[in-house]
Amino acid sequence: MSRVEVRNLWKEYGDQVVLERITMDVAPHSFVSLVGPSGCGKSTFLRMLLSQEKPTRGSILVDGQPLADEPQPDRGVVFQKYSVFPHLTAVENVALGQEFARAPFTGRLFGRARRAALHEAGALLEGVGLGDARGKYPAQLSGGMQQRLAIAQALARKPRILLLDEPFGALDPGIRADIHDLMLSVWWDTRMTVFMVSHDLREAFYLGTRVVAFDRPTEKDASRFGARITFDIALDPAAPIKERLREAEHGSATDELGEELAAMAAQADRDDPAPGSTTRRDDPASRDGETA
Amino acid sequence: MTRLVNRHPDRPTRLLLAMLPFALLIAAYAIGSDLRLAENPNDKLLPSFRALGDAIERMAFTPDKRTGDYLLWVDTVASLTRIGGGVAIATVFGLLVGVSVGLLPYARATLGGFLSAVAMIPPLAILPILFILFGLGELSKFVLVFAGIGPFIARDIAMRVAELPTEQIIKAQTLGASTWQICTRVVLPQVWPRLMDSVRLSLGAAWLFLIAAEAVASQDGLGYRIFLMRRYLAMDVILPYVAWITVLAFSFDWLLRALQTRLFPWFALEGGSR
Amino acid sequence: MTNPFKTVFRNTVIAAVAIVAIGLTAAAPAAQAAERTSFKLAWSIYVGWMPWGWAADTGIVDKWADRYGIDIEVVQFNDYIESINQYTAGAFDGVTATQMDALGIPSVGGVDTTALLIGDFSNGNDALILKDGDAVEDVIGRNVNLVELSVSHYLLARALETIGKAERDVTVVNTSDADMIAAYQTDDVTAVVTWNPLVAEILSMPNATKVFDSSDIPGEIIDLTVVNSETLADNPALGKALAGAWYETMSIMMSDTEEGRAARAAMGKASGTDLAGYDMQLASTKMFFDPAEAAAFGASADLKTTMDSVRTFLFDHGLLGDGAPSADVVGIEFADGTVMGDAANVKLRFTTRYMDMAADGDL
Repeated sequence: MSRVEVRNLWKEYGDQVVLERITMDVAPHSFVSLVGPSGCGKSTFLRMLLSQEKPTRGSILVDGQPLADEPQPDRGVVFQKYSVFPHLTAVENVALGQEFARAPFTGRLFGRARRAALHEAGALLEGVGLGDARGKYPAQLSGGMQQRLAIAQALARKPRILLLDEPFGALDPGIRADIHDLMLSVWWDTRMTVFMVSHDLREAFYLGTRVVAFDRPTEKDASRFGARITFDIALDPAAPIKERLREAEHGSATDELGEELAAMAAQADRDDPAPGSTTRRDDPASRDGETA
Repeated sequence: MTRLVNRHPDRPTRLLLAMLPFALLIAAYAIGSDLRLAENPNDKLLPSFRALGDAIERMAFTPDKRTGDYLLWVDTVASLTRIGGGVAIATVFGLLVGVSVGLLPYARATLGGFLSAVAMIPPLAILPILFILFGLGELSKFVLVFAGIGPFIARDIAMRVAELPTEQIIKAQTLGASTWQICTRVVLPQVWPRLMDSVRLSLGAAWLFLIAAEAVASQDGLGYRIFLMRRYLAMDVILPYVAWITVLAFSFDWLLRALQTRLFPWFALEGGSR
Repeated sequence: MTNPFKTVFRNTVIAAVAIVAIGLTAAAPAAQAAERTSFKLAWSIYVGWMPWGWAADTGIVDKWADRYGIDIEVVQFNDYIESINQYTAGAFDGVTATQMDALGIPSVGGVDTTALLIGDFSNGNDALILKDGDAVEDVIGRNVNLVELSVSHYLLARALETIGKAERDVTVVNTSDADMIAAYQTDDVTAVVTWNPLVAEILSMPNATKVFDSSDIPGEIIDLTVVNSETLADNPALGKALAGAWYETMSIMMSDTEEGRAARAAMGKASGTDLAGYDMQLASTKMFFDPAEAAAFGASADLKTTMDSVRTFLFDHGLLGDGAPSADVVGIEFADGTVMGDAANVKLRFTTRYMDMAADGDL
């Protein structure tokens, strides 16, 4: 559970500006959905949160401290694919974090320590519904199971922030609904602050306590202007839209819903006084006790 | 009528088809040999199967008149020692350099270009330099095999390591891995089966370089014997030697592949060997 | 159950076998017993055989072939052994070879071969060279790098014989001639036996002493132009054309004229040196410029002694065939009609007939 402050962040590759003037405060235990068209820099933003890339200008503070300049166990990640290690079984994948932590030289635990780590990892696997698959290699798991495994693996080091890069984009709708529920309960139980990049507005609204959209301001000279935050909507879990999304999620999807979300986004876009100077509108603390 | 692309031979037919080219070759040899022997009973180019059998008997199971050694086995041990040594050094080198270049940007910046360039040098073209540096003894034979395949393996491994998804390396870091831990737990275990592939691919070249090395200067070895016998067109000895080398090379290939499947079951699941 | 596929399959197999077999036998002996008009001679780079290249280039070979109404294609090989192997396999009607290799390869391989022309004998071109040593005795116990089973090997055996030693007193390391010079520069190598121009090259290095050479066994390493006996019997024109071309070339080459120097310079250039270098190699070669001299050498009793020594060497090294009970297994016929070894299996023949014709101006 961490507060994340993004201060006037710019990212440029040579002459090309990818992101500019990104400023936002994220309260502890938020679930931030990052949306926007392809190439708008949302994944770049996520990589900066991960310290995989460095901002050209500006800074990111976590609980008031600047980010370390390389990836650390305080921030877990689940990618769309390649998140898990193909040469390790499910349980070994999850136990790996503990092995890294406890065996600096060999990176490998033996005997009792190993059994303890595997036991712990097994419990995590149970938690994501993979109790029966502990001895299987990733290639023997379905796409949904692989992403569950990736989530369990990311939780192994108890990160305070979890970064999701289109984690469910490649999954079938039915499987996606189940894994969404898993994700929400994990988020709720661990009190992590979550950032999720998504293509799917419905998913973004359904999971997020806050939906942030990135886009470039003009069509022309696209490369000279970076993407900015074009809307930033706080979503109370009790909001009526959430209820309808929940219904949609579990079967009764309608096309209107998509149109309505798009309209909502457009409205937010117009309302937004100035990109880059958004106000904090979500406050998860006030929603404690509600079911997610 | 089913399309040809959709017609699959059944098991016995497959076996038959697989043996067909071999049978053809042997039949063609037999005919060619008979025709030539009818012309000249002492013909050396395509000796009869009986002459080949006699040569095998003589080389493999009869002590040599002058030295008392069983030549085929002496030659085999000498050659296997050399190729084994050369391939072993090349493998260790290829692994160390390849993983470093593939994983560490500083190593890549330093050695990447050099490695690509060195892998292109035909070692046989710089033989005299190798001799003067390493002498004419056993060492130079290891070195020639090594120089022939070491850079190839290193480059191949560097490419395989670079092909590992960045996501994995990042993921490992978010699990708290150090560079060393990434190397030992993420990269190396995934490199082993690929290293075996790389070695399998370079074995053919290794034999070539071994035979070249033995042709240059030696007192024993399969390549030595072939080049010596060639001087007297003793195809009755050369052909069994060639067959023997083929059998040895094929066995190594098979062994490596079997080991790979057994030791790295996940690799086959992931799509396996190229 | 008749499977049309199987029938097709069987027919395909038969056809394929036939095709491959035909392909293999295409290389079958060119020496069919018949009169022919087109012939092929293979030669390789060596001081005593350079005249063939020059004679072909300058049209002398064509001129003599035309005179006898035949075609002779002269093909240069970069690999001496390969040229002999090709001849033995039947792809060529004639080849340049030492008398030792002529006996050891085509004759043992059942190809009846006639020494048509005796070009020269090595008179210093082959040598045993030592580091840190000045007598044959110093080679004892050393590794000796040489092309195994070649005339170098024979020279070593003869050198050891002169001091009452044998091959077991040294260790022979088979070394490719292409790498001999580089080999000599390594510390591993302290004794080599090789031939010119490698001898000259190695002797120009520091710490290289020639302790024995072919002038110590004069007339024992003989360079021949040989042809298939059967082809020659059916086509004497081939022998006449080759002899005519050869001795015309000899007469030009030996002359101390501008033309002679130009010929030798061209031959030197073709062998990678110049006139001076080539003349130096000629100095350690006893060229038989005069056909009468060559014929006299071919008819001499010394040749028999030499061939006995050579066949014994080959026999000792298992090169007369592995079932060979003695050195007599292959018969060698001499110019006077005597046969050494098995008279029923004569495969190497010395004749002075064509050299005599050249000497007598009968060509």
